Amino acid sequence: MATTDDGAFWTIIAYLISGLGFWGGMGYLADRYLKTNFLTVVGMGFGMVTALYLIWVKFIKETPPTK
Amino acid sequence: MAQPAFVPPSSSDFFFNPAFGSSFLATKPVMLVMFSVILIAAFFTVSARKAAVVPSRLQFAGEMVYGFVRNSIGKDVIGEEYQRFVPFLFAIFTFVLTNNLFGVVPFMQFPTMSHIGFPVSITIFVYLVYHYVAIKKKGLGRYLKEMCFMPGVPKAVYVILAPVEFLTYFAVRPLTLAMRLFGNMFAGHLLLLLFTLGGEYMLKSALFVKFFAILSFGMAIGLSFFEMGIQCLQAYIFTLLAALYIAGALADEH
Amino acid sequence: MKGTLSIVGFGLSTIGPGTATGLIFAAYINGVARQPEARSILQPIAFLGFALAEALAIFGLVLAFVLK
Repeated sequence: MATTDDGAFWTIIAYLISGLGFWGGMGYLADRYLKTNFLTVVGMGFGMVTALYLIWVKFIKETPPTK
Repeated sequence: MAQPAFVPPSSSDFFFNPAFGSSFLATKPVMLVMFSVILIAAFFTVSARKAAVVPSRLQFAGEMVYGFVRNSIGKDVIGEEYQRFVPFLFAIFTFVLTNNLFGVVPFMQFPTMSHIGFPVSITIFVYLVYHYVAIKKKGLGRYLKEMCFMPGVPKAVYVILAPVEFLTYFAVRPLTLAMRLFGNMFAGHLLLLLFTLGGEYMLKSALFVKFFAILSFGMAIGLSFFEMGIQCLQAYIFTLLAALYIAGALADEH
Repeated sequence: MKGTLSIVGFGLSTIGPGTATGLIFAAYINGVARQPEARSILQPIAFLGFALAEALAIFGLVLAFVLK
């Protein structure tokens, strides 16, 4: 169905944003706390990998249920 | 002929002074919203009042909109229990569509949804509904468990994945829902303003530049039709995503 | 005119992912139209490509706000 495609489409974007936002934000807080300046970028990279892994598990490893 | 420099349209063009008095209830967006509610109610009351087996043209139009929301958004997406949510989805669809289309109607020409407050308030309703439905069906604990811990992942990874999932469901999804509608309407209206104001400015300039004013106005007219398409599409997508979130809340993950 | 150059950078950085997403879904729709039964094979591949392309766009979005 086209509608499930559409849902997955926006869910993927939402996962990417929240993965990057959460772990990037964690990195930023760690930077503030430890007075360093590289952890934000590390956190963002880690968050992106996390989000991609999540998408892989949810949509790609097993085919999503078709309605 | 000295002319002041061109002032590009900015976000300050989206704020209006009250038409009368000093209450914010008298500003243009709020009045448009109230007008849209009256318009929708009047249209569907009139179209459904003389319901007949052989529909009149007005009744046909009303039924077409309703049938579209019920069948291609409600039934296809939500599935078995769709009947409960049709009034909700139908209200969202007609409200957003009417308010968006105000952006190209002459003399109104302001899409109400380009004020962030209106998409956000609709989104709050959707947010409450889909969480309420899920919690009522599964219970709070099971809902959170199914949301954050999906099967097929090693246990240690949950520490990393669960916050991301949680944030997606509780913050990013509603946020993107509101932002998408707001952003499309805001940018579209700004684009139309830019071409109209630019054309007007060029019309007042030297003779050679006046020629380009025609191009600018033509572009504004063409973009108005483009905007009309975008406005219908955004109303559809907003309703579709609301239905998808409800469907996701109802679905069993196993 | 006032503004931040980062936003212009973000605008430029969306060109690539936008083109990529268009190409991916064009190929996906083409494939499904020709062979509807191949949908279940093509869908994960299309989503993987889409996720990877979109990741870069969202990197651009966040960096436009983070970098000063």
